[in-house]
Amino acid sequence: MSETKIQKLTLVANDGNKIEVDRQVAEKSVLIKNMLDDLGDEQMSTEVPIPNVNDTVLKKVIEWCEHHKNDPAAPQDDDSDSRKKTTDIDEWDQKFMQVDQEMLFEIILASNYLDIKPLLDVGCKTVANMIKGKSPEEIRKTFNITNDFTPEEEEQIRRENEWAEDR
Amino acid sequence: MSQTRTTTATSMPPVPNREDLDATWKYLEAGVSKIMSNLQEGMDMPTYMGVYTAVHNFCTSQKAVSNHSGVIGGAHRGAHLLGEDLYQNLITYLNSYLRELVAVSRTHADEALLTFYIREWDRYTIAAKYINHLFRYLNRHWVKREMDEGKKNIYDVYTLHLVQWRMTLFSEVHEKVMDAVLKMVEKQRHGETIEHSQIKSIVDSFVSLGLDEADPTKSTLDVYRFNFERPFLEATKAFYQAESKQFVAENSIVEYMKKAEIRLDEEEERVNMYLHQDITVPLKKTCNTALIADHSGILRDEFQVLLDNDRYDDMQRMYNLLSRIPDGLDPLRAKFEAHVRKAGLAAVAKVAVDADKLEPKVYVDALLEIHTQYQGLVKQAFKDEPEFTRSLDNACREFVNRNQVCKSGSNKSPELLAKYTDALLKKSATGAEENDLENTLTQIMTVFKYIEDKDVFQKFYSRMLARRLVHTSSSSDDAETSMISKLKEACGYEYTNKLQRMFQDMQISKDLNTGFKDFESGLMEPGDDKPVDATYSILGTGFWPLNPPNTDFTPPAEIAKAYERFQSFYNQKHSGRKLTWLWQLCKGEVKVNYPKGMKTPYTFQVSTYQMAILLLFNESDKNSYDDIVKATQLQADVLDPALGIFLKAKVLNMSPDGDKPGPGKMFSLNYDFKSKKIRVNLNIAVKSEQKQEVDDTHKTIEEDRKLLMQSAIVRIMKARKKMKHTQLVSECINQIRSRFVPKIPDIKKCIDILLEKEYLERLDDDELGYLA
Repeated sequence: MSETKIQKLTLVANDGNKIEVDRQVAEKSVLIKNMLDDLGDEQMSTEVPIPNVNDTVLKKVIEWCEHHKNDPAAPQDDDSDSRKKTTDIDEWDQKFMQVDQEMLFEIILASNYLDIKPLLDVGCKTVANMIKGKSPEEIRKTFNITNDFTPEEEEQIRRENEWAEDR
Repeated sequence: MSQTRTTTATSMPPVPNREDLDATWKYLEAGVSKIMSNLQEGMDMPTYMGVYTAVHNFCTSQKAVSNHSGVIGGAHRGAHLLGEDLYQNLITYLNSYLRELVAVSRTHADEALLTFYIREWDRYTIAAKYINHLFRYLNRHWVKREMDEGKKNIYDVYTLHLVQWRMTLFSEVHEKVMDAVLKMVEKQRHGETIEHSQIKSIVDSFVSLGLDEADPTKSTLDVYRFNFERPFLEATKAFYQAESKQFVAENSIVEYMKKAEIRLDEEEERVNMYLHQDITVPLKKTCNTALIADHSGILRDEFQVLLDNDRYDDMQRMYNLLSRIPDGLDPLRAKFEAHVRKAGLAAVAKVAVDADKLEPKVYVDALLEIHTQYQGLVKQAFKDEPEFTRSLDNACREFVNRNQVCKSGSNKSPELLAKYTDALLKKSATGAEENDLENTLTQIMTVFKYIEDKDVFQKFYSRMLARRLVHTSSSSDDAETSMISKLKEACGYEYTNKLQRMFQDMQISKDLNTGFKDFESGLMEPGDDKPVDATYSILGTGFWPLNPPNTDFTPPAEIAKAYERFQSFYNQKHSGRKLTWLWQLCKGEVKVNYPKGMKTPYTFQVSTYQMAILLLFNESDKNSYDDIVKATQLQADVLDPALGIFLKAKVLNMSPDGDKPGPGKMFSLNYDFKSKKIRVNLNIAVKSEQKQEVDDTHKTIEEDRKLLMQSAIVRIMKARKKMKHTQLVSECINQIRSRFVPKIPDIKKCIDILLEKEYLERLDDDELGYLA
């Protein structure tokens, strides 16, 4: 509410790099928000260590938070169907996610760790879109997975999932 | 997904190896303990992040097999989530932490125990909120998955804290805590000041512990209701039972009521001050039972005393108290009704020493006074409650219709009421203010509402209205109209239909007279005598309660010309209508040209009959009784009273002097007549005539009632065709009740008449049939 509450916070990535962000931006992370609420404002001056995220990824995550800082808070009922079912991603997010696979997975892990649900959703949807419409062989190729099923096992799985085949 | 990073913990406190449960837990326990016992000193950010990260790392470690959950087949599908070990360790930790608290709690009692409980509860719940946040990763994944799979007894970390508190600590100490609470409350009830915020905190704690077993996201009040509300209500009941018993023994009932009122208010205030709203209803019920219902007997006994002494405030107090318990007021209503009836009867008895000479106003005022008094009581003490109003109505109906005055006949009340109304609406010397009159008419309607024989009132009212209209003696048209619209409102169009027609007739007559004046002046030849100045009223036979004269009469020649002219005028306007002259209602004025020398001669206001007699003395100063009879054709019962008035007023002298006029007497004009007034009213109704009229009215009422009952019976039978005798009787009563209360033998008589006239026939099985 109050416009005066533009407070700065220093985040420290696991490689020691410090990044200064607005409190409002940092609070897109439920982890940081809860921590600030719990510890109180007097802890604001202390640097916040983010032990599981490196500088590059953290910067990328903050970029996303910065862009989305004015989004309305996600509804409490986080199982709402709309969120689950659609794989639509808004344009900015699509561009944002045009990164190499390794970075994509790092963003997903970081948003899971920092508890930034909307970002986690965007990440997972991006991966889902990469899988959509592909054959198992293509998927393996995309994600560089070695096929460790025996032909018998493969046949069994195919049969069990026959109902889901797109015909 | 492949793991691409290793944990490096450069600038942090050492976060343990993510796959090592023991090391991880040791690290976490240190953090949790710090929060539990030492939160005041503050958490720092590195520890906070450290604990969170340790939980996260443990839960995301790839060593997927927990050490005791059995072998999970290699073919398990979907991601396996880690966390159960952390969850179990947390439980163990909380358990031992709480057990220690229980041990410490044993060293406290009463208020100290409360202080201890509240302090520890606050500390624990604040810590639980922290720990819940720190273990959020566990909540989000492992706990959520377990709950989604429908596992019982898995809660989010915060709820887990509450569950552990309840199982380990609460179960041990809640009784002692409650004892302490109840002791404090009792102290307060005895007037001491207590730290009631403590009780509030206990209530809040108990309420928080209510978790819905079926759905942990919801809370219930079960724990609170069972462990707080129940003992609290029991203690309250015991306290007030003991207190009220003693208080009643030592004090008056009125004092007790005041006390109970205060106590009830206090308890209500108590709920607002420090109890949970949920207790409002049961606490009220408990207090009502102990303070009111248990003593309702003696309270009600006191009610009569209060009524007798007009103790409005105390009756209001009693009403308020007894209205709080079920069926508390019924006995009061019965007592109230009986009391009002008695008061009404007493008031009537006081004025009815001589029922025959009872002034209508005195009687109606006596009725109204009682009604006003007790309506005031209902309003002031009983909140105008509809049930009490009904009791008042019942009582009023009783004493209005069945009292000492009505002993001679139930018609007396409506008759007197109608007479009073007549007196009000008639022109009189004491012209009441318009406003007062309207108010009084409203009061009349109050009594009217209670009258059962509304048809009797109607009869009398219409007769008196007829007289007021014919004699133009109404004090105000507005008041008349207002009264009729009031009656219409109360009884419907039919009830006032004829009354309104009477007004219409008067209006039409007015126009007719104007027409006649023109007609008459057209007939006049120059040099003719000026015609008698007269006005005529044409009254429809069906609407006016008037009968043709019961005596022969030859109108005097002086007016004969005038009325014959009118008759021909009327016939010309409405051919085929028959005019009957109601001579007994006509009147006129005669000017007297003696004694000589009077500047303004006397004017006598007389009836037409009297006029006919007096005009005879224009011819000769003496007339014999028989001459008068011969000239006027009047019968003795009309003639004698008319002469009587002349004699009494000394207009005529009689010889030989005797008590009554009659055959053989001589009448002579009294030239020495003297009067203070110039206008002398000789047209006075005679007592016996009035009495006669009342009797006539009653007789017509009886006849009308028979017709009303018969027509009701025919109406019912026409609709039903067949009906049991008893059913017909009760249906008949239903239909007629708004006019009067028919007696069953009368209805039976009417049925017999209809059988005789073959409107009805007897069928088998006590049934009656309708014959078209």
